[in-house]
Amino acid sequence: MSVAWIGSQPVSLMDAVRKASGLLKASRCPVFTIDADVHGTRSAIALAERVGAPYDHPLGQTLSREVALFTDHGGMFTTAGEARNRSDVIVLVGDIPPHHGGLLLDWASTQPRSDKLKKRSWFHIRGSEYSGAPKLAVRAVRVGGDDLSLGNVLAVVRATLQGRQTLSSLTNIDRLLKSLSAARFPVFVFSGASGQMPDLIMLQEMVADLNKKGRAGSVFLPADEAAWGMALTSLWMTGFPPRTGFTDSLPSYDPVRWDIQRMIRDKEPDLHVWMSTRGGQPPSKGTRLCLIALERTAVPVQGTAVTIAVGQAGLDHDGVCYSSKTGTFRAVQAAEPSQLPSLSSVVRQLAVALPGRKALVC
Amino acid sequence: MLIKLAGGEVIDPVNGKTRTRDIWIRDGLLINAPQGETADQTHDVSQCIVMAGAIDIHSHIGGGNVNTARLLLPEHHAAHQRRPAATPLSNAGWSTFRTGCLYAQMGFTTVVEPAMAPSSALHTHLELADIPIIDKATLAILGNDDFSLSLLRDNTSSAMLDDYVAWIVGSSRALGVKVINAGAAAAFKENVRSFSLDDEVPEYGVTSRKIVKSLQASVTRLGIPHPLHVHANNLGIAGSADTAAATIEASEGVPLHLAHLQFYSYGTEGKRKFSSEASRLAAAVNGNRDVTIDIGQVMFGQTVTISSDVMRQFSAIGNASPKKFVIFDGDGNGGGGIVPYRYKQDYYGSLQWAIGLELFLLINDPWRVFFTTDHPNGAPFTAYPELFELLMSSAARDEQSAKLNASALELTTLASIRREYTFDEIAIMTRAAPAKLLGLKDRGHLGAGAIADIAVYRKGRDVAKMFREAALVFKNGDLVVKNGKVTNYRWGKTLRLNPPADKAIVKRMKAYHEERYGLPLDWFTFPDSSIQRDEPFGEVPCNS
Repeated sequence: MSVAWIGSQPVSLMDAVRKASGLLKASRCPVFTIDADVHGTRSAIALAERVGAPYDHPLGQTLSREVALFTDHGGMFTTAGEARNRSDVIVLVGDIPPHHGGLLLDWASTQPRSDKLKKRSWFHIRGSEYSGAPKLAVRAVRVGGDDLSLGNVLAVVRATLQGRQTLSSLTNIDRLLKSLSAARFPVFVFSGASGQMPDLIMLQEMVADLNKKGRAGSVFLPADEAAWGMALTSLWMTGFPPRTGFTDSLPSYDPVRWDIQRMIRDKEPDLHVWMSTRGGQPPSKGTRLCLIALERTAVPVQGTAVTIAVGQAGLDHDGVCYSSKTGTFRAVQAAEPSQLPSLSSVVRQLAVALPGRKALVC
Repeated sequence: MLIKLAGGEVIDPVNGKTRTRDIWIRDGLLINAPQGETADQTHDVSQCIVMAGAIDIHSHIGGGNVNTARLLLPEHHAAHQRRPAATPLSNAGWSTFRTGCLYAQMGFTTVVEPAMAPSSALHTHLELADIPIIDKATLAILGNDDFSLSLLRDNTSSAMLDDYVAWIVGSSRALGVKVINAGAAAAFKENVRSFSLDDEVPEYGVTSRKIVKSLQASVTRLGIPHPLHVHANNLGIAGSADTAAATIEASEGVPLHLAHLQFYSYGTEGKRKFSSEASRLAAAVNGNRDVTIDIGQVMFGQTVTISSDVMRQFSAIGNASPKKFVIFDGDGNGGGGIVPYRYKQDYYGSLQWAIGLELFLLINDPWRVFFTTDHPNGAPFTAYPELFELLMSSAARDEQSAKLNASALELTTLASIRREYTFDEIAIMTRAAPAKLLGLKDRGHLGAGAIADIAVYRKGRDVAKMFREAALVFKNGDLVVKNGKVTNYRWGKTLRLNPPADKAIVKRMKAYHEERYGLPLDWFTFPDSSIQRDEPFGEVPCNS
């Protein structure tokens, strides 16, 4: 089975690496899109630094919103484990990505541990933009208004909690207020897909209000766990979250300037290196931009100058991935070990094939 | 490879008085002068001071909370930026890569991250493994988790607690144990807002004192070389000196390390009810040979406070500068708070600055007082050179004091203290004593058999400049810094203990994690191979 192609022609891995490194060397403005486990990300960022390429995640738009909640505001958070063991009220906020359904079901099948805590109650704050699909994994009392956006619903809930009068009324607001006033540890669950930045900030301000006299927390469930793991890895490697570039010698974090999809739309780069151990669609597909794809694929990616097939951590090889269930990284073993090379091993070979032949630091 | 450092003024208090002599290195180790052999490489260090590589026992350099601080404050990194050296990623802001380079440039070769949540140990070790050049170590946090609190509530046997502590230390690859505001994080979850040494944790009925004493005893029984590392109650509060004094007294003949004492040396005198109790606490430390302390010196400027003392951090959010923060109620020992802060030369900042120096200068024994800023809580570690100067020069202290709030300094004894640290005392405080405290017999001195971790400083009147840019630094015999610039990128190890795990406790941990988190134990543990570095860990033996 071939793992490397130049155009649509199968070639040896070494020939593909040589060709890709030649393209990198010749590029005046390469850009990277990285979707991998911790070690794939480490190698990819180290190569990005070497060649001066800005990098982003394929889901950079949502990820940048999640990152911005922290860079611009911060908040009060707790873990999935604490929500499972201690929360007596769970309030889902906006859209919760369906891949977290198992986690919600696990919480729904357990009760808070303390004898002082009653049976857990569930609410779902949602606005008019709520998609409703896919269906929530758990039953929750809906809180909202017919024509109110999520931000407005949150504002009304917050104002009502503070005893202020509001012009809008919400479905089931009284039930929510009653539960929150009796709760010992209410937990609000959200993701970057739940709403826009002002909505998430409003939510955090409400959690902060509740903590003035009692306790409350929020569980952040990333819209994409691999993307959040990539962000955390980027932070310790460069000091910055993704949408970081190296072109001024020093790394710079700029979520607008280094938005790779925007850069491609605006025809700024001359080479796109697409690294995805999950597959997917390179944003440069269909454009005339030169593309190198390091992707989990059995066939050459259409329109690429070079394709190299790579394995996925946890499937083809061991690795380290982020999990919302623990709120941190976990070691994952290969479920179906394969001969596909890891992204980090291919990236390291690429680096050594570049002028100077220096090994990467990761 | 035989290397000779010729003619330096060698400051090595462990092996005798300061004198001019040659240092010899073979294959990464220090050796006695070989007879009849010629060095493969000779460095003339005749105008230089030669010391062992420095060891920092308390610096928050990696892990979940540090990373969250990076996330919260991308704008803060400018404080650490310098033009790049010719090393990979060494120009990368407040990153792991930059951390290793900056420490090495100052002659530090071993640094301890003092607060690792066992549940996220893998994250911490991934970061530590990406800190180049230096060796690292970390302390596992205990004392706020349901399992240990339940053991204490149920008066389970001390053997069971020992098994649990040993399992935590071994599985999280720690070099020791730290307790942070014992019981307070668990109490904060129950909406308790202040917590002292004899307060009980709700739901468990266990006092903070009992937690500290039990862990202190367990650490001692297990032969963990580093005494229990205690972040006491009531950090930062006026009157906290009483808590610190009570904690020192509670050592009761068993070794105990009290972290960042400066943050507890506050009294309630004066118009602002915030004064210095440094003299009193220094006397308490001087009078209790079982206690060691580090300072947590405050230096002026922007920083960010990072602590697993979530109760304390929550109370500080009103002072956040810039106005943003992260407070995190974590599982067990894994919570914390990130609150940016700017130390100003106002009354409070001036008093904190002076208190730290009072402690440094009034505690007599340099073997029991350790050089820290509690990076980044009191100041970034990059402020160390200026702090060395303040300790070694009363004139430098006077000059700085003249710029500060006079009414604050009047409440301290600083102006009356003329002590100046000698190079010998600096070498003890930053090399020999940390090695002894951590049980690292292979470093902290320049005797034959030690690993060749060496810092060479060019003599000069400007002490800060001298310590900021080492002339030469060797790590395990590799020349890594020349004239203050990193010249050789290498990877150190993370030093750990590896006490044997009792089979029964492993079985119990499996059941506990399944029941409490609905997850198998291997979601919380990891193999060495997941770090993806060659030999990422170095093993340090427990005391027999």
